[in-house]
Parts: sequence; structure tokens; C-alpha cells
Amino acid sequence: MRRFFAPLLALGLAVAGNARAEDTLSPLHFQSDGPLGSIDKAAAQRGFLVYQTVCAACHSANALHYRDLEALGLTPDQMAGVAAGVKLADGSAATLDSPFKDPAMPASAFGGALPPDLSSIAAQRPGGAQYIYALLTGYATAPDGVTMLPGHFYNKAFPGEQVAMPPVLRDNAVTYADGTAATQSQEAADVAEFLTWAADPNLSTRHQIGLRAVIFFAFLGIVAVISKRRIWREGR
Amino acid sequence: MTTETKQIPCLGALCACLCAPVHKPEGKYLDTLPGLTAILLAFLTLSGLVLAVYYDPWHAFASVGFIGHEVNNGWLVQAYHATGATALFGLVYLYLFRAMLTRGYRAPGELVWGLGVKLMAVLLLVGWLGFVLTGGAAAYWSLFKASNGALALSGAAGAIGGWFFGGPAGSGTLARLELFHAVLAVGAMAVLWLLFAARRAVVPRAEPGQGVAFFPYYLAQYLVALAVFALIFSVLAFFTPHLGQPAVNALPADPLTLPLGTVLPWYLLPLAGIAQALPGIWGGILGVVGALAVLAALPWLDRSGPAGAKGGLYCVFTWVLAADVIGLGITAAARNYPQASLLLVLFTFWYFFHFLVLTPFVTAIEAK
Ligand code: HEC
Repeated sequence: MRRFFAPLLALGLAVAGNARAEDTLSPLHFQSDGPLGSIDKAAAQRGFLVYQTVCAACHSANALHYRDLEALGLTPDQMAGVAAGVKLADGSAATLDSPFKDPAMPASAFGGALPPDLSSIAAQRPGGAQYIYALLTGYATAPDGVTMLPGHFYNKAFPGEQVAMPPVLRDNAVTYADGTAATQSQEAADVAEFLTWAADPNLSTRHQIGLRAVIFFAFLGIVAVISKRRIWREGR
Repeated sequence: MTTETKQIPCLGALCACLCAPVHKPEGKYLDTLPGLTAILLAFLTLSGLVLAVYYDPWHAFASVGFIGHEVNNGWLVQAYHATGATALFGLVYLYLFRAMLTRGYRAPGELVWGLGVKLMAVLLLVGWLGFVLTGGAAAYWSLFKASNGALALSGAAGAIGGWFFGGPAGSGTLARLELFHAVLAVGAMAVLWLLFAARRAVVPRAEPGQGVAFFPYYLAQYLVALAVFALIFSVLAFFTPHLGQPAVNALPADPLTLPLGTVLPWYLLPLAGIAQALPGIWGGILGVVGALAVLAALPWLDRSGPAGAKGGLYCVFTWVLAADVIGLGITAAARNYPQASLLLVLFTFWYFFHFLVLTPFVTAIEAK
């Protein structure tokens, strides 16, 4: 395992420094939130590390390809290193054009609950990144009087409060290259930002174009109203 | 006449038509709704063409993902097309509602009104087909239910359904539905064109010497309407590209799990509510057909006569009807509480009660 992820540990160098400075956990917020939000690339890179080291053991994200990581700021060499470290089912290594690996978990391993594909989970579950964060940090001991289903874990955030996914994040489950302290909540927030990017890779661009379009059409509207009034006034 | 217009006669005719001072000077901004609808339909056709080039009905969900992720600016075209559908229904619903409020459906406007309802009906079908083409979890189940329902019918209806869907929903179904989606969209344009022709025939003309020409007066008005529309469209397309779309549709279809929550785009929800309120497949079909039929019959259900007073009470009831339709949509969207079925029945009852009982009585009384 170590060998596979060695190239990953070099990630984040490009953005190291400023990432550590900002505390997004108290209160919890994401740079991607809100109408003008954009993907926090440093957080999403760290989130990818969490995904690749922890979540990918059970979850695929097959709408993503290793080459897509370029959008998060990885160099071609880094991406190639990431892909080369992934072993596909037939034993060969992944390439830049492979989709994020499907570990093909049998549903029977989790009492019939198949780990869902994570490509668009942030768009699909109400609450998006906030929900994923709450889910990953929401494990607790079941309160008295709650009978747990076999193979399930008590989780405040999950609808029905009993989830088949074990608590997988713990402090220092990964080591961040940019020096950010890998607490459990930091890992959860980072992977939530990563999954937000996965579900909506063009979020930043979309908001940028949108802002310009709104300014442009508001301006055009004002000009159109003025000219309309002038034309109608002068005509009669 | 300039040389150009002499050499190209149709240009001369166009100029003469645009510059003829025949329009009444008090045109309203909302009169531009059909024009905006036409522009938007053209825009949807263009964006749809781009999507169709890359779309693969045999791997619908994967190809939608491919367009969004791999095709250059594919995500942008998808956002345009999806938001275009939302905006289109916004325009059409607003247009019809305004005609109800101003009672523009009365003679001589019955034909225009009927074509407006027909346009909405065709667009609803086109919208549903487009939604089904996404191949997501919600789309899959909607198609599954519709095709199973259609095939379970006996007689001619079953035969038509069987031909339309080509058998139980399978991987080939979407290939034919893609075709219907495109052809019916062109059909909607034809209906809109008829609507324009019918409207031109009945719209009152200005007295000689009192009128204004389209150019530049109404062109200036159109530009304002277009700019405002484009502004609203940009907000929707760039900041909420999935507005009114069921979130479960972001997931691939799983034939073993029925999705929970809202499963249809917003513009189909009121009709879906009526269909769900009535029992059985036939109940659903009759509900939908009946709901559209009473709407189309409005000019004849209104007993006030062409020049009758525009009563205030009936206007209030029209607003209540709007609230009722919104209520239908909201209830159909969130069916997760026990009273939902009862509410749907009540809202459906009120819808038909409004048209079949209230409309004739209230308008007849108010016209006295
Ligand atoms: C040991 C295997 C395993 C690992 C590792 C794992 N998961 Fe899961 N995950 C599951 C299973 C099983 C489910 C289905 C739970 C259910 O439906 O009860 C699931 C469900 C989910 C869901 C959907 C919850 C919902 O609302 O239905 C999300 C989101 C999720 N996992 C995120 C993650 C993330 C992020 C990671 C990495 C930090 C991760 N998982 C690591 C097994 C795993």
C-alpha cells in the first residue's frame, strides 16, 4: 500500500501553505458552498488522498478518470503515478484513461447494502457536502433502547440511523503532504469537498461564467429599457 | 426602396411588414411571451442537436455522464438544455395563466387558446421524453411504469402504447423515444407557428393613423423582454442547473430499488398528481386527458359571452385554481406523509370542480 501512494504524498505541494492557514471546521463551511462558491483545490486534493486511501477500498467513482485529476492541480507525472499504483481486477495497472476503480464489493459483505458509487453522491443526497461530513463524523454508540440490526452501526446523520458502512475515518488515517493535521473531521471535510468536485467538476467555472452573464444581461437590460423609453417618447 | 429590396423581393415584403404602422400602441410586455417561447424553442432545438450528436440511447446514463464530463463544454450545453426546459414551461404556464386572468380565451380568441393548450400538451410529452432519455434512476422507473401501464391496456390503446414503446422498457426503448422526443419537438414548433397565425388573425389592429410599426417600437420592447428573460435564464442555468429535477436522477438506474422522494421534473408534477389521485391505469390516463380537455374547453365553459364583464369573483377563483395546481405539484412531489393521497384527491376534485361547475355558474352570474 505504502508504495502505491507514495506519489500521492507528494501532492498538494503546489498549494501547500495557505491550505493549512484557514480553519474550515469551526464553524464547518466549504469553499464550494453558496452561489459564488468555488472548489477548494487544496482541500479536494487532500480529499482525493482520503478517497484513494480509505474509501476506494469499498466505493467506486466510475464517472471519474485518473486524467481528470489534472483539474485539481496534479501534474501529468503525479497523475500517472496515481494510476500506476492502482491494480485493476485483471491484475494490470490502471492508466490515465481508466475510470476510478470499482472494487466490486459483494453486497453480501454488508448485509445486502452495496457501497454506492460515489461519483455523484454529493449531488444526489440532500445536503451534499454537509451531509457527507455529517455522515462520516456521525458515528456514536447507540442510545439505550435502540436495537441494532446485525452488521450495522449507529450514525446520527444517516436516515434511519443505522448504516452498514463501518466508521472508516480516524485521526491520521492519511498523512497530508501540505502539513494539515489529519484529524478525523479534517479528513471528512476534505473528502466531502472532493466528492463535491466529483459530482460537479465545473462548479467553479459555472459560477464564474454565471456571474459575468448576470452582470452583462443586467447591463443590457438597463440599456434596453432606456432605449425603449426614448424610442417610444420620441416617436409620438 | 433601396436596391437590395428591389433585387430580393421577399426582403421588401419583410421590411414593409416590419415598418407598417398597424399595431396598437399600448402593447404589454407580457404580450412578448409567445415570441420568447419561439426563441427558446429554437435555442432548445440547437442545444438538443448538440446533445443528440453525442447521446447514445443504448448506454443512456453513461453517455449523459460522458457529455457532462468529456465533451468540450458538454456540461454547459446540458445546463442550457435542462434550464431551457424549465424556462419553456415557465413561459407556457405563465402565458396560459395570463390568458385565463385576462380572459383572452373568449371569442374571437378560442382558437389561439386551444392552440396554446395543445402546445402545452405536446411540450409536456416532449419534456417527459427528454427526462426519460437521461436514463437516471428516476427516469428509468418513470419509463418502466409508463410502458408497463401502456402494455397492460387492452384494445386500441394497448396497441398504440405497444407501438409507441415497442414492448417492455428495455435498452432499445430509448432509441425510439429519442426519435419521438426530437420529432415531437418539431411538432411543437408547428403548433406554435399555428398559434402565431391564429393570433395575428384576431389581434385588434390600430385605427389608420393611430398605429405604430414593429420597427423600431416593438423591437425595442422585445429587446427589453429578451434581456430580462436572459437574465433570469442565466441565474437559473449557472446557479441552479438542476432546479426542479429529481435528485435521484443523478444516480444510475437500479432495477431492484425503487427510488424514494420526488421522481419527476417539476413541470410534470401537477398532472402526475391528478393521475395519481385517480385509481388504476385508466383512471390516470382519463385524469390527464380530462384535465387537459377541460382546460381546452374553457372558452365554452365561460358563460359570460364575448363582451361580458370581467368579474372580480371569477378572477379570485382563477388565482385559487393556480394555488390548487401548485398544491397538486407540491403534494405529488413529497408523497411521504399519510394525508398525501387524500390531499391529492381533494386538489384534483377542486381542479375539475373549478372548470365544470364554478366556471359556468360564476361567469353566468357575473355576466348578468
Ligand atoms: C468497508 C467498506 C467501506 C468503506 C471503506 C467506505 N464505505 Fe461508504 N459505504 C459502505 C457501505 C456498505 C455503504 C452502504 C450503507 C447503507 O446503505 O447502509 C456505504 C455508503 C456510503 C455513503 C452513502 C450513504 C447514504 O446516504 O446512503 C456515502 C456518502 C459513503 N458511503 C461515503 C464514504 C466515504 C466518503 C468513504 C471514505 C472516507 C467511505 N464511504 C468508505 C462501505 C464503505
